[in-house]
Amino acid sequence: MYRQAKYDEPLLFELSKKGRRAHLPPRCDFSRDDINIPENMRRTVPPELPELHEGEVMRHYVHLSQQNYCIDTGTYPLGSCTMKYNPKINETVARMEKMMYLHPNQPVESVQGILEVLYELQVALGELAGLKHTTLQTPAGASGEYCGLALIKAYHDDHGDTQRDEIIAPDSSHGTNPASTVMNGMKLIEIKSNEDGRVNMEALKAAVSDKTAGLMLTNPNTLGIFEKDIIEMSRIVKEAGGLLYYDGANFNAIVGKIRPGDMGYDVLHFNLHKTFSTPHGGGGPGSAAVCCNDLLEPYLPIPTIEYDKEKDFYFYNHDRPKSIGKVHGYHGNAAIALRAYTYIAALGFQGLKDTAEHAVLTANYAVRKLEKLDGFRLSHTSEIPRKHEGVLEATPFLRKYDVSGMDIAKMIISRGLHAPTVYFPLIAHEAWMVEPTENENKDRIDQYVQAVSEEMEKAKVDSDYAHDAPKWTSVGRIDSAWSVRNLVLSYKIYKEKKEKGEFVP
Amino acid sequence: MTEGFKEHPYLGNSQQDVDEMLQYLGLKSIEELYSDIPDDIRFKGELDLPHYKSEYELLEAIKAKMSKNITTREVRSFMGGGVLDIYMPALQDEVLRRTEFYSAYTPYQPETSQGTTQALFEYQSMICELVGMNVANCSLYDWATAVGEAALMASRITKRYKFIYTAATAPNREAVLKNYVVGANLELEEIPYDPTTGKMNIAEAKAKMDNTVAGIYIENPNFLGVIEDGLEEIIADAHEKGVKVVIGADMNSLALLKPPGEYGADICIGEGQTIGGGPLNFGGPLLGILAMQFDRRETRQMPGRIVGVTITANEGERAFANTLETREQHIKRERATSNICTNEGLVALSCAIHLALLGPEGYKDTAETMYLSAHYLVKELEKIGVKRVFNSEFFNTFILDLKIPKSKKQEFINFMLERKIFPGIPYSNDGENYDYIVTTSYLLCEEDLNDYVKAIGEWRS
Repeated sequence: MYRQAKYDEPLLFELSKKGRRAHLPPRCDFSRDDINIPENMRRTVPPELPELHEGEVMRHYVHLSQQNYCIDTGTYPLGSCTMKYNPKINETVARMEKMMYLHPNQPVESVQGILEVLYELQVALGELAGLKHTTLQTPAGASGEYCGLALIKAYHDDHGDTQRDEIIAPDSSHGTNPASTVMNGMKLIEIKSNEDGRVNMEALKAAVSDKTAGLMLTNPNTLGIFEKDIIEMSRIVKEAGGLLYYDGANFNAIVGKIRPGDMGYDVLHFNLHKTFSTPHGGGGPGSAAVCCNDLLEPYLPIPTIEYDKEKDFYFYNHDRPKSIGKVHGYHGNAAIALRAYTYIAALGFQGLKDTAEHAVLTANYAVRKLEKLDGFRLSHTSEIPRKHEGVLEATPFLRKYDVSGMDIAKMIISRGLHAPTVYFPLIAHEAWMVEPTENENKDRIDQYVQAVSEEMEKAKVDSDYAHDAPKWTSVGRIDSAWSVRNLVLSYKIYKEKKEKGEFVP
Repeated sequence: MTEGFKEHPYLGNSQQDVDEMLQYLGLKSIEELYSDIPDDIRFKGELDLPHYKSEYELLEAIKAKMSKNITTREVRSFMGGGVLDIYMPALQDEVLRRTEFYSAYTPYQPETSQGTTQALFEYQSMICELVGMNVANCSLYDWATAVGEAALMASRITKRYKFIYTAATAPNREAVLKNYVVGANLELEEIPYDPTTGKMNIAEAKAKMDNTVAGIYIENPNFLGVIEDGLEEIIADAHEKGVKVVIGADMNSLALLKPPGEYGADICIGEGQTIGGGPLNFGGPLLGILAMQFDRRETRQMPGRIVGVTITANEGERAFANTLETREQHIKRERATSNICTNEGLVALSCAIHLALLGPEGYKDTAETMYLSAHYLVKELEKIGVKRVFNSEFFNTFILDLKIPKSKKQEFINFMLERKIFPGIPYSNDGENYDYIVTTSYLLCEEDLNDYVKAIGEWRS
């Protein structure tokens, strides 16, 4: 039986009372009278930060934390998100003083240790990619996409092909793909997928032209289906003068098994917070790495981190005239990169390959069991084995019982489990996108499928039960439309509305 | 099944589980699940990746590598530039190590994620308090990318394609700005600063602003450490011409300086690491702050996630959830306001905890210490004849006029390192002579400051 904590926890501001202190920072002995800021620049009204005792701050956050579901609570099978276990050693390593207290502008001789780790990680990721040049400056997957596409654009511009401003991507692609394309000033040419969920080769042939900058494709795709014609696609795109971008969000399926570089890709990004086990942090921080081949190497962000073998010395290289510049203020999310390095070193090549195989096995097992439930069907085709994830459609259930894929997802939350990714990819209907990862064992998957089955049975006889789900969470079904209508985006606005007598919950 | 299978702790299933699942699927080996992949693209080789067989060996190996670093805590650090060595109270990491926070996903299912959503709403609200505005998003990657996003946002709001910024912008932030605006085809123009005061040239700024300019970006205090004045005048002129004003603020300075919202700025950005987002971590993860004054139309042009208050459908209870999601890539795809998805959520939480611990008094205390330490340092350095480059009001950062020739720069670094000092960030206008941008944190005591003065004196003699 699952019951999430429910505290009706007040906001920090509502707990505050003047004069309480939660922390005493170091104070210097200089006289405060020496502060002499001209009147027109001086702050006169202090910010209304909460005033609490230390113990109350702790209670507040303990209460909040208990109202959160996390990977260590239970199954978290979000498709395309790769919610794998975050090994605790990663957290220990990242809290070394020798990591935490490094300023990014320190003299290079004082940061040889972290540069060695970052350099070795670059090499390891380059090996796994089959694309040997790597930057770790990109702090998230979308930043990786932005950077990788900028390399492609820079390459074409450098070769006088300034008219190449079209990125081709299938209609099954992640939402960041079109968004990153547009941020690079390029146009997205969306091509339809086949009935079997794969890229339609005729559509691809029709889409390429002398305006093609590249093809952006995750493989396996978001349906968990491997694009087996990737070599042919690569030929078509390259004959048209374009390059290939690999969206590494789905790399967990093929780690050590297939290298994107060997499939004809020129550049990719890895999500270190997906494939390489760093925590998602309730939204971030993550980190990406961008790996590319010799064609794109001259355009990588500055500075690159390089190694002088003769002097056994790591250094920054700023002298890269063709570089696209910088995509982050410093060297990216180094403390996340260190966690990813730790993960790779804990598994080694063979271990990483095992994770991919197990991720594919658990995904197929989960998807095939769910497919058998009355009201679900596997999207597109049942013939092809899935890779790290699979997409079910709850369309039959919706038609028959007026209970949607989202409703079923909410019912699963009532059971102390987490819903899969719902309503994505857009080419599936009532989508349930399931990715258990290699961490979830058979018993857990069996329990999950059993829970889904039981909840669907309840919904069949009582659709209101489904529409009201979830139960036993700290709050019931949320009306998101209210927040968009009312836009209470800060405590300031909340207070103002309250004072004006407007309704605020 | 590969031969390497050793029932690794990170794998959920034993050989028996694997066999049972294969049996259910009617397969003999996992390899059959890859049977649709053409043989010629499969990787058959071995990769030489780092590998340590036990957790203990792994920890020791990484410790050994990292021991080559010299940390800001082993010396006295006078380095700022946008990030700063801070002290994180013990409570802060206690909360951050709660797996309920760090191993959760983005709160797309808000009913089971109220911990994250409420904490982020509180973060947004505290940022609003600091900057004197009423909307903040729940994070961008860092200050530098926030400059880029702010420029794009100003352009979307005004439908104009020129963005101007002061020459006293940090070079790393300027570099990211230049990169971010390429796609949107924004034209950039620089406003010079006065070579004696280090302040923006107000007349030039006003001259550059017209009805083709989307926004103006001003750092305050600027990268040279100087507090800008005449901002009200610039802002009045900007608003007359429909130009959006973006202030890049040192978040600690706002304890003492007038908040940008109060003097009329439209958008405020900055770095949250320095107000408790986290340790330096070699420059990442950081915390990009983005705030603005609420406007029903313009707020919809904000990039990144925003958490809002909402209600539950049945009981009408208060709850918190991501809002205005139709701005975001997972819904709007190519029409999204930004491509950002994964952000710096946990760093935002960290910052919120820090500010809750400091309260208004602690926040002011730390800022005052930074201010007073810097001013004491300047006074003592002047006594030995070392002056600042710009003789203007400053907060905790100034440029020390050292004029170290390029040929002697390494010698200076070594000299200071022997005295356990990171003297600041080298700064050069001509690439020949180097001055140093010096920043004081609240972790330096009077003795550290005196040692700095002594070391500079010795270097010069």
